[in-house]
Order: sequence, then C-alpha cells, then structure tokens
Amino acid sequence: MILSERVKKLRTQSLTAEERITAERALLVTRFYKSGEAREVSAPVRRALAFQYILKNKKICINDGELIVGERGPAPKATPTYPEISLHSLQDLEILNSRPKVSFKVDDEVKAAYRDEIIPFWTGKSNRDRIMSLMTPEWITAYNAGIFTEFQEQRAPGHTVLGYKMFRTGFNQLKEEIKESLSKLDFFNDRDAFEKSEELKAMDIACDAIIMYARRHADELERIAVSEKDENRKAELEEMARICRKVPGEAPETVHEMLQHYWFIHLGVITELNPWDSFNPGRLDQHLYPVYKKEKEEGTLTDEKLSDLLGCFWVKFNNHPSPPKMGVTASESSTYTDFCLINLGGVKPDGTDAVNEMSYILLDVIKEMRILQPSSMVQISKKNPDRFIHKALDIIRTGFGQPSCFNTDAIIQELLRQGKNIVDARNGGASGCVETGAFGTESYWLTGYFNLVKILELTLNNGFDRRTGVQTGLKTGFATDYKTFDDLTLAFAKQVKYFADIKIRGNNVISKTFENYLPVPFLSLLLEDCILNGKDYNCGGTRYNTTYIQGVGLGSITDILTSIRYNVYDNKRFTWDELNKALDSDFEGYDDMRYDLIYNTPKYGNDDDYADQQAVTVFEIFYDAINGRPASRGGVHRINMLPTTSHVYFGSVTGATADGRKAFTPLSEGISPSQGVDSHGPTSVIKSASKIDHLRTGGTLLNQKFSPQFFEDEDSYKCLTALIRSYFSLDGHHIQFNVVNAETLRDAQKHPELYRDLIVRVAGYSDYFNDLGEDLQNEIIQRTEHENI
Amino acid sequence: MKGCPLSCWWCHNPEGISPEQEIVTEIRKIGETEFTTQELAGKYYSARDILEILEKERIFIEHSHGGVTFSGGEPLMQTDFLLEALAACKSKGYHTAVDTSGYSSELNFRSVMPYTDLFLYDIKHPDESRHFEYTGVSNTLIISNLRMLLREGKNIFIRIPVIPGKNDDPESLEGMKKMFSELKCDNLKQISLLPFHRTGKAKYRKLHLHYRMEETAQPSVVRMKELKEFFEGTGIKVRIGA
Repeated sequence: MILSERVKKLRTQSLTAEERITAERALLVTRFYKSGEAREVSAPVRRALAFQYILKNKKICINDGELIVGERGPAPKATPTYPEISLHSLQDLEILNSRPKVSFKVDDEVKAAYRDEIIPFWTGKSNRDRIMSLMTPEWITAYNAGIFTEFQEQRAPGHTVLGYKMFRTGFNQLKEEIKESLSKLDFFNDRDAFEKSEELKAMDIACDAIIMYARRHADELERIAVSEKDENRKAELEEMARICRKVPGEAPETVHEMLQHYWFIHLGVITELNPWDSFNPGRLDQHLYPVYKKEKEEGTLTDEKLSDLLGCFWVKFNNHPSPPKMGVTASESSTYTDFCLINLGGVKPDGTDAVNEMSYILLDVIKEMRILQPSSMVQISKKNPDRFIHKALDIIRTGFGQPSCFNTDAIIQELLRQGKNIVDARNGGASGCVETGAFGTESYWLTGYFNLVKILELTLNNGFDRRTGVQTGLKTGFATDYKTFDDLTLAFAKQVKYFADIKIRGNNVISKTFENYLPVPFLSLLLEDCILNGKDYNCGGTRYNTTYIQGVGLGSITDILTSIRYNVYDNKRFTWDELNKALDSDFEGYDDMRYDLIYNTPKYGNDDDYADQQAVTVFEIFYDAINGRPASRGGVHRINMLPTTSHVYFGSVTGATADGRKAFTPLSEGISPSQGVDSHGPTSVIKSASKIDHLRTGGTLLNQKFSPQFFEDEDSYKCLTALIRSYFSLDGHHIQFNVVNAETLRDAQKHPELYRDLIVRVAGYSDYFNDLGEDLQNEIIQRTEHENI
Repeated sequence: MKGCPLSCWWCHNPEGISPEQEIVTEIRKIGETEFTTQELAGKYYSARDILEILEKERIFIEHSHGGVTFSGGEPLMQTDFLLEALAACKSKGYHTAVDTSGYSSELNFRSVMPYTDLFLYDIKHPDESRHFEYTGVSNTLIISNLRMLLREGKNIFIRIPVIPGKNDDPESLEGMKKMFSELKCDNLKQISLLPFHRTGKAKYRKLHLHYRMEETAQPSVVRMKELKEFFEGTGIKVRIGA
C-alpha cells in the first residue's frame, strides 16, 4: 500500500497540528445548565438535552481533502473540557500550557471563558468535587499515600467497544426499538417503570441529536461544494454530503458509509462525556470485510479509494488527543494517546479463523500510517495462520510498539468464566491496554491502579506510612514482629483486604454518582441490552457489567518477598535490623548488600519456582480480596494486572525495597519481571509469567525488549512465532515486543543492572547486551542508530 | 561442554577450551560502581539434570520444532557422558544435535551416532598446515570423520567460521568449495557461514588470556552475501548465521 498525496498531507497536518484547549464544549454545557430547560427534567433527559444542545451549536469542521468528516472540537487537536466531570482551575490551565511534555496550548480567550463563565458556574459542582466530598477519611488517606488511584475522578466510566450490531444498524432503527421498549413498560408491577421511561425518552432525544449532527455536516458539505472549483473534489463533497444524510440514521452499506457511520458514533461518545479510552471500533477487519467484499465484487471500490478512506479514517483518531488531566496528574508526564485499540484477527462468532483479506489490508494501513493513534493489536488464536503473525512482526520490528499480540483463546476463556455466552465471548477482544471485554454487550470499568508494593511497605511498618507520616493501614506489626515468612504473608493479606475494602466501598459510591447525576443516554444506545432493559450504561443497563481494579508491581513485589524469604528467613544472610537499616538509608553505605540483593538473590522471570511462588501467592491474595465482590451498578469486581504508567507514580511514593530497588524509582510494570532481572532468556520469562492464572483475570500485560537486529535473519520470525504460541498455549494473555532504540542501549551501558534482560543480535547469534565488551556494545549502538526507523 | 582439543585463535568461548573448572573474574556494575567477584566457570551436570532443564523448555521446543544441541568445547571429549545424555534425550523424544569440531576418534563418533539426529560439523580450513597453525591440530582426522559420517547416512550441517585473513582468501575458499562439491550428497543438508565476531574478547579478559584477534574486523553483510553465493555453487543450501 502506498499513501496517496491526499493522505500524506492530512497525516502531516495531523502530526503538526498543535494540541490546544477549546472552551467551546465547556461554554455550551455551562450555558445549557444555566438555562431553564435543564432544571425541571430528570437526569437522563437533562444529559440528552445537553448532548443535543452541544451538537446543535458546536462549530462544524470540514478539513481540506478529507473523506471522513467530524471533529470533536472546532479544529483538529482542539480539545474540549468537561467541567461537569472535573473543573480545570486557571492554574491547571497554566500548567497544561507550559509543561514541557504533553502540553496543550491555552490562549487568552479560553482563559477568559474559564475565568468569567465556566469556573464561577461549576466551582464545587463538578462530579470530582462530589466524589471527593463523598469519600471516607480512610479512602482519602489511602489515596494520598498512593495506595490506589481513582479513574473516575477526572474522566467518566468507559472502556467499552462497539460491537457487531451497531455496524449494521442505524439510529432510526434504534428509535423503533425504543418505541417498542416503551410500549412494553409495566407500570403495574415494575417499580422502575417511570425511571425506565425517562431513560428511554433520553435515548430517543440522543438518537435525534446524532442524526441532526450528521445532517449539519451534510449541509456544510453541500455549501462548500457549491463554490468548489475542482470537479473531482466537488463530486467527493457531494458524495460525502449524501452519506452524512444517510448515516448514522440508516445502516451503512459501503466501506465509506461504514467508516463515516462509526466516526459519528465515536464523536457522539466522546462529546457526551470524556469516558476512559475514548471509544473503539474493536474488530474492524470483521466489520468491514463483508461490505468490502460486496463492493469489490460489484466493482464499486478501487484499491486506491479504499486506501484513501482508511488513511483518512486513521487520521481522525490522531486528531483527537486524550482529554487533558489536572492537579497532580497534570504536572506528571501523561500521554496524548486515548487508548483506542483496533483488534485484528481472532475468531468468528462460530469459532472459526477470522483472519481475512481486510486483516492484512489493515496491517498495511498501520504500517504505512505509523501514527500514535489509533493503537492496534492482533488477536492470535491457535486457529490463525502463522503468516498473520509474521505480517504483524514485520510492523513490530520497525519499533513503534504496535501491534501488540493477544491470545484470543485465553480471552474467550476469561469471558466464559465471567459468565458470557460463547458468541458474545468470541465477539470480544481487548481494549485500552490489555483489558478483556465482550464487545458491544459489556460495560467494563477500570476503577484504579492498586499499589501492591506500597501495601507491603506498610505491612513492614505496622501500617504507618513514613513518607506522609500518617497511620495509613492496619496495625499488623513491624517487620521484626513476623517470626516466619508465613506470618508476613498473612499480615500482608490482611492489609490488602483492608485497602481493597476501602477501594470497593469508594467504587460503589462513585458508581452511583454517575448513575444519578451523569447518565449517558447516547452511549447507552450503542451497547446491548440498554434499550431492552430501559437502563443506562452507567446504571447496569448493559448485558454484562464488570468493575476492575488493576494490580501493579507484580514483578517488584515478587522479588521483594523472595528476597526477604531468601535472605532473612531461609538463609539468614541478614537480620531484619540490618536490612531495615540499609533500606532506611536507601542503601547508602550498603553497596555490598545491594549487590547481593540484586545479583545473588532469586528473581521472578527466570522460571525459578523459589521466586515465582511468591508471584502466585500475591496474585491469589489480591484475587481473593477483590474477585466476585458486588458492584453497586450490577455485576461484580474483578482483577487485571496492568499499569499503563502508574508503576512510575507508585514507585515515586514507595521507599527503597528489599530487591535492591532505590527509593522512589519505578516499580516493575504489568506482569513483566522487574527491570532487567530476567537473565535466563525469554522462554524463562514466559514460563514465570504463566504461573499465575491469567484466565481468572480480565487481562495481564507482559513486555519483552529486543534490539532491531534480532529480527534480521530468516529464523527470527519463526522463533518469535514459536515464543508467542508457547506463551499462549500456557494461557498467557498478552505479549508485546518492544524494539529498543540506541538511546535505550546507551542507558543500558550506564545502568547495566537495569538491563540484564536485554538481548541483542550480535553476528548471526544473540547475546545479552551486558555480557558484551564496551567496544562491541558501542558497535551495536551504532548499528541500531542506522537501522531504527 | 567444557574442554576442547583445539585452541582456535578466534574462539569466542575460551572458557570452553580447558576441561577443568576455572576461576573467572566477573566485573558487574550497579550504576558506576564496579563489583569484582571470582566465580567458577564450569559446573557438573548429570544426564538427569539435563532432562530437567529441557523439561522447562519443552513447551518452546515443541512449538519451534526444536531440540537439544550439545556444544562446547568439544562434546566428544566427554563421550561417555555425551552418550548417556543423548540416549536420555532420545528416550524422551527430543531431537538431538551434536556441535563438533570433528576432532575425536572414529570410535567415539560411531558410539554416539545412533543417538544423534544431526551433526553440526565445523570445517575451519582446507589446508592441513594452516589448520594446524590456527587451531593447534591437523584437519586429517576431521575430514576422515566427516566422510565416515556422511557414508553412514548421518545428517550433517557444515559450519564454516568466516575469519577474515585466516580462511577467506581465494585459495582457502576454493579448497573448501572443492571439498564440499566432492562430498555433496543428500544427507549433507546445509552449509552455515558463521561471520567472525569479537564477543569473546571480554571473556579473554575475565580468564586473563591473551586475545589474538584484536585487529580483525567483522565481515560485512555484503561480503557474507558474496560468500553465500560462492558456496551455493556447490549445489548445497547455504545460510548465514547459526
């Protein structure tokens, strides 16, 4: 596939457009809430009317040359805010404007709008304020200590993916379904009949709103077409106007219609609120393939046109940075990516191999577009061909971190265990980072990262947090009080349970704030069976509901517990007093002990049961504390093991640890071994990582680093394919290959202890980078500089 | 496996030359701080230990259609153990390979033959005196064992370390090409060209040994491709790398 001039231009524009804050949405929603219309109606209707008001009054943006239209803000990368969720202060805006990384330009007009209109109206009224006022003192203490984070504090619940149905259905059809659902309400026996009628009314308003919004685009396209001099472009604009009059009211019938249909839906979701992980078309190859095939057979779609459409579609995602954070979170590094994760491959609803021509076409698009958003992954089932994996490796080797590899067969078993039916499970996949979900039928919320390492630190200090100087956990004793290693793990389990209770109680309250104040009638239209149930997505209306808490630091905590067990209890190399002194001084003056902790102590990631059994113990403790606990909107709490970048934040609140880690440095990420401790090769890593039971999670994350030269010779693809298939046959959920750059290699020279796992291709064979002489290391760095694209 | 009758100038596993356990000096860093430790190179393993290690890797071996390769050093310097270990591996269904210099008695080769699915067989130089100079031994026995194994129908991958200035001159190359053309048969499956590299250099320092290949550079990718084409002239499959 070769990108056309059109797509190249749009791609460049997207890459160079400046991320900026627009006050457009915040002003519209403020004006709507101030109006009389908002006051005397139920919450769902109020939210539907607000949605309608925004879509009716926001600026329509059509960019030169594009084939798919619609921007969340007035221009590409103009990013709106959501004061009803969380209100930026003028200081927050200044931080966003001036921070060196992931900044957003804030001009004087925006600042004035905030100062004069938005801040005066929303102060004390945002859902963030509401949440913070509702949390218990224990919750606040734990939150400040960095025991857990809170997802819903700055963004609405999300983590949901569009399923099969909505790619085949228009909103006029949904209006019929709403009508039917309303007609079936039982006001005699159903106590919730009234609430349901209000919710259905709200959904109906949201249907009208999105159709109206598409037509506003059609109007604008027609207006531009009149004065367009170029005959080709004129015809394109007229065709686009036709499409915007058809979708999303009616079901799409061509590739172009389907992409535009999805894009209006996407915009609707991210305009209504700022749900986590934006929104996601999910199994795009599956959805597009039938219409693509039909158009190919009829001869109505050329390869060039297809490539243009997909390129334009990709650019749309990149035009939409993740909504900016605030407060503590804003001054840290964050990311522009909004975690839309396109799924390719996997299996069909009947369980057969789903890889099709469109899967390969989309892999080509990913390779050629090479942009941050959307992100992409391949679902790999035992039924999928090796060729599909090789094609994915072709892109992975270029080193931009996509696509990641997921185990379809494990995902299906995870979903079945949670009670999904087999078809819904096969229609599922992973979204966000690695989160398992039944696409189109499940609302699966991530609620916060959970700092397992910090909890262990508190367990060793009688629940007292030395960083904040606050009694934070239970008084289970000090390190020296634990006579055996089992005593320590029992106390740790008590602390985990204590903090899990705090977090779950908080979740069950926060969930109700969204149910009562911020329902999402538009998003509810998209997920089965909200219309059928007459219930909102934020109120348990979907067929399946899951609430996740994400464990962080498995590699670190395993190494810490293993070190304590090995050095203090089993071999008595150090006493608790000696170890505590070293930890208190952050190893200053304890170099030899630190050396032993790093190099002469068993570590997770080397297929060594002595170490790995602590991973299993911690996993089971975490699982028992959370899995199956009821959630207030319906469904239950479950666990997954992923960090995004929270392992850095969690490390920054955690002192020195018994694995030799210095105070306030990052924890391990996902279920990967701690940075660099796996020195027995990738097969040992996958063996260690598969000792925990992935099938009882909603996703785990495993990263492996390779140098680009590793992909050079013929056999490397076969080896990596065998590695992936091996891990997946052990029920591993996800593996990602990070191809390192020269900068990483230079860092490895400076901090060899953090890169003991780094394998490089030398000359027809591979070796650990650390084991090479410095001149050879330099040679490889030079080669990497040339080869990394 | 530790211990080798050859001592090639370019050896990248110098700790494999002596059949005895040796003390190596390991220098490890944490940040800028260096830690020096004395460690033993060489451990004792039983055939059962080997099976346990393989069991850990079984899932990957199966998915990659791989197997076990005994390498060294020269594995045939410990023929009794090698035989026991190979037989144990075969009894568990593993594909077995022996990576050899070819410098061992015909009797030794004949004893391990029944349990070896594939020999990775090094040919370093076609000329006897130059072979002697660079490796410390003559190549006569090596070549006669190779002929014997091929006659007996054993599967062979020839491995040529490509050492600039030592065996990549036209005469040496022609000599090897001629030899392989004569030996060509169905069970001579492949020629692997192993480009010289200096990864062993750091190990020489650890063992306090002198490194003789300081001035030799790694052959370029272009050069390796040329040599691949050259040896393809024998009609045997050629690949670059192990």
